[in-house]
Amino acid sequence: MSTLSSTKDRRGSAGLLFATPFLVLFVVLFLAPLAYAAYLSLFQTKLVGGTKFVGLDNYARAVADPLLLQGVLRVATFFVVQVPVMLLLALLFALALDSGLMRLARVVRLGIFVPYAVPSVVATLMWGYLYGPDYGPFAQLSRAVDLPVPRFLSEGWMLGSLANVVTWEFVGYNMIILYAALRTIPGDLYEAAAMDGAGAWRIAWSIKLPALRPALLLTLMFSVIGSFQLFNEPKLLQAIAPDVIDSAYTANLYAYSLTFIGQQPNYAAAVSFLLGLVIVIVSYVVLLTANRRRTP
Amino acid sequence: MPGSPQFTRRSFLAATGVAALGTALGGCGSSGTAPAAAVAPVSQADIDKAMATPTELTFWTWVPDIDQEVALFQRKYPAIKVTVVNAGRGTPAYTKLRTALQAGTGAPDVSQIEFQYIPTFTITDSLLDLRPYGAEALRDKFIDWTWGQVSGQGGEVWAIPQDTGPLGLLYRQDIFDRHGLKPPATWDEFADAARKLHAADPQVFLTNLAGNQAAAWHGLMWQTGAKPYTVSGASDISIKVNDEASKKLAKFWGGLAQEGVIGTEADFTDGWYAALNNGKYATWITAAWGPVFLAGAAKSTAGLWRAAPLPQWNAAKPASGNWGGSTTAVVKTTRNPIAAAIFAQFLNSDPESAKLFATKQFFFPATKALVADPGFVGDTPAFFGGQQVNKVFADVGSTVDPTFGWPPFLDQVVTDWTETVGKSLTAKTDAVAALDQWQSRITTFAQGQGFTVR
Amino acid sequence: MRRSTPLTIVMLAALAYFLLPLFWLVVASTKSTEDLFTTFGLWFSDAPQFLTNVGSTLTYDDGVFVRWLRNTVIYAVVSASGAALLAAAAGYGFAKFRFRGQAIMSSAVLGAIMVPATALAIPTYLLFAQVGLVNTPWAIILPSLVSPFGFYLMRVYAQDAVPDSLLEAARLDGAGEVRIFFQIGLRLLAPGLVTVVLFTLVATWNNYFLPLIMLNDPNLYPVTVGLAAWSAQAAGGGSGGNSDILALLLTGSTLSVLPLMAAFLLLQRYWQSGLAAGSVKQ
Repeated sequence: MSTLSSTKDRRGSAGLLFATPFLVLFVVLFLAPLAYAAYLSLFQTKLVGGTKFVGLDNYARAVADPLLLQGVLRVATFFVVQVPVMLLLALLFALALDSGLMRLARVVRLGIFVPYAVPSVVATLMWGYLYGPDYGPFAQLSRAVDLPVPRFLSEGWMLGSLANVVTWEFVGYNMIILYAALRTIPGDLYEAAAMDGAGAWRIAWSIKLPALRPALLLTLMFSVIGSFQLFNEPKLLQAIAPDVIDSAYTANLYAYSLTFIGQQPNYAAAVSFLLGLVIVIVSYVVLLTANRRRTP
Repeated sequence: MPGSPQFTRRSFLAATGVAALGTALGGCGSSGTAPAAAVAPVSQADIDKAMATPTELTFWTWVPDIDQEVALFQRKYPAIKVTVVNAGRGTPAYTKLRTALQAGTGAPDVSQIEFQYIPTFTITDSLLDLRPYGAEALRDKFIDWTWGQVSGQGGEVWAIPQDTGPLGLLYRQDIFDRHGLKPPATWDEFADAARKLHAADPQVFLTNLAGNQAAAWHGLMWQTGAKPYTVSGASDISIKVNDEASKKLAKFWGGLAQEGVIGTEADFTDGWYAALNNGKYATWITAAWGPVFLAGAAKSTAGLWRAAPLPQWNAAKPASGNWGGSTTAVVKTTRNPIAAAIFAQFLNSDPESAKLFATKQFFFPATKALVADPGFVGDTPAFFGGQQVNKVFADVGSTVDPTFGWPPFLDQVVTDWTETVGKSLTAKTDAVAALDQWQSRITTFAQGQGFTVR
Repeated sequence: MRRSTPLTIVMLAALAYFLLPLFWLVVASTKSTEDLFTTFGLWFSDAPQFLTNVGSTLTYDDGVFVRWLRNTVIYAVVSASGAALLAAAAGYGFAKFRFRGQAIMSSAVLGAIMVPATALAIPTYLLFAQVGLVNTPWAIILPSLVSPFGFYLMRVYAQDAVPDSLLEAARLDGAGEVRIFFQIGLRLLAPGLVTVVLFTLVATWNNYFLPLIMLNDPNLYPVTVGLAAWSAQAAGGGSGGNSDILALLLTGSTLSVLPLMAAFLLLQRYWQSGLAAGSVKQ
């Protein structure tokens, strides 16, 4: 008994040994700056008057900050609208590719995935051009056939336009994760179902979808984080639509503006931590809902 | 917490950074390693000694091919080695400089800084007063208003002017001819022309006032005689971005935008470049650097453009403002203040170096000698149909008010402008009301940063 | 199996949507600055000059673009392989061994990615400045070595890809844990490893904000920061502005995307199977 537990201990420490390099770097490069940011968030630095300790004042201010609330609500809307569309598209594409019913599947799969390899700087540059209200191709096309010109960069459309860029960038990524998961379903399951006379749709619904649940959950979690941290795309589109995307358009953009424009890095740190808390809560709720639905 | 001992921002951050890492460098003193800048002049002997001592300087600048000017300096002072670093331009470059200054390490000795950013860096005590190094002797070489821009409220010389951007009007001769227009002498004439032109051809607008270009707006404020920001003492600031002069300006441009007879799209974007090429706008209100820029950006319209002074509010008393241009400043943390200061001065005041900026980089000069130089003002670029464009802007430059000042937190002011006044222009809402919002946002920000707002 | 033409057509339409922006970019990189603003964006101009543009992009400013590309490749490859190796070891350690504090450490790693990176930029800079890492390649490489996603993927992957029985057998043969990991574990983890390499490669390749803050010397820039610097130079609204660079900017964007695409195409067999295993379990 005692020898067994001591080998177990020894093996346990071997596990820790393997994890140590990663964990050390994680502590030094992730947790230390994070702790430092947490520490900074307890101070206030003014251009006139210097730095003083303010305790949790920054957090109290952030909780009541309408700009932060507005930013969080906007990314929440973005999440609710964009993520289902993106994941549904990714799912449909993955199922279509996996069905074996289409030609050129390889080409299509790679083509849809390619945008993931494009930096968001370049992606936004390209879409920014396509959205152009005067010389963008959609605008020119509408004008040529006397249709109203789509105002991609107007206030009402902007969130949708951003959602489109993000969807464009990440559908392929999510599709590949789902597609890869589909490929691991044992073929004999399909054969059995086909013998029972199940069609392609029926197989997709009752075999493939349940098998995809963990993969879908994974993509969902990354989408929560991605949506709530939305930054690059609005920051870059700001240059061509400064009247619509203000410095607090998304919560993360607000934290950035506070740091680099408003010179209030302490307050920005508090804002970032609150945003992180929101993300943790949303992720938790999403996980909980997904798991509860599985149990009954 | 007045009266309690206060850290400076830099030593605080440095000290906490050290503490977090657990190294033993803590408590590195109150105002960093910068040598105290006395107002008393540095003796010529000290300067000579410093300039003969092997020294390395780092110079952050975005100016292309500036090595040529730097080489002139090194020929005269072979002991000083200047490393030119293109650290980018615009907000990213300033962000970088500020972050390096906060960290207390990694900042350059000398940096390119635009006029409007000087107070933003002097409020954090980051620039070196150049008076002890003989900067005041250069005052007469530079155009008055440029010297006003680099002077501090206590008479400090924070930087040496390098290039300038007095505002003028570039216009399409062919479009003007087609519609029987002349370059408007007053803003009233300008408004009439805007209405007339757009009525005659709904595809064409007289001009575009970009809703993202706070710098151009400030140039126009400057022309109206507004004095929006005055800092006095260490912590007092007066903010008047909605005074009578500014209201006149907002009413004028807001009105034209609401009538829909001018464009308000963001500038330096694909759409805007295309518009300049396709004749959507008949004029561009721009600075002295504009002609060279336009010649590159709108090649397809070569020969069609001409330059004129800005329209005036009072034709009897012509005035203009400035947009852009830059300076060379010495960063206070430098270990070699003498060499750095002499370099900043040489680069911009040495006749050969200054001339090179005008002929190689096509900078619009800041020195009196060059704007009077027949070789410079007599240039007749084909893009402007052989007109003496530099002459137009040189004349405009002499009408710029030398007392206009900038706020000590420019980034915030610019962002707030875009989100209030700029937005109102684009959205065709009340620009005068937006001016009040701008005023109140800046005021709130200034108070939050500890200023006493008058 | 019968092929469905309607499905193929629908998917080809989808493909067109995904390739349209890239088509614009390719077309744009064949144009002169003048043609960029005077011709229809989605078709070639009368005087395509792709090679001229490539030539000027590669030679501008003493070939600084080539240096940026090279830097990006170095940063991305070193970070990606380092991150994959670290994540593989850690994932293996977490999946195949039980030790105290495992659950807490695991959730700390996953929880840390929920705080936005903007909060970390300034503190990381200040910490790096204290140890003299700012404006060195390490400032980019070190933070990229920690990949929480890679850790997660490798942990899940190791659970199944490395059978306990095999490890036991090796232990009975008297092999040490480290040797087992390198000789057996790592080989079985290879597909997962390639996946993490590729995804960290993308993350580092596209990294913009961190190098922007950390690097001052243009000779150290990765291509994203370099292109942004060109873009700022073109759209200055001030002195020293240079609109000719716009054409280079677009050509440079095209060139910067190609190597990554090539990497994905060449290695697709590996990363797809790696993802497959990683995504079905958790």
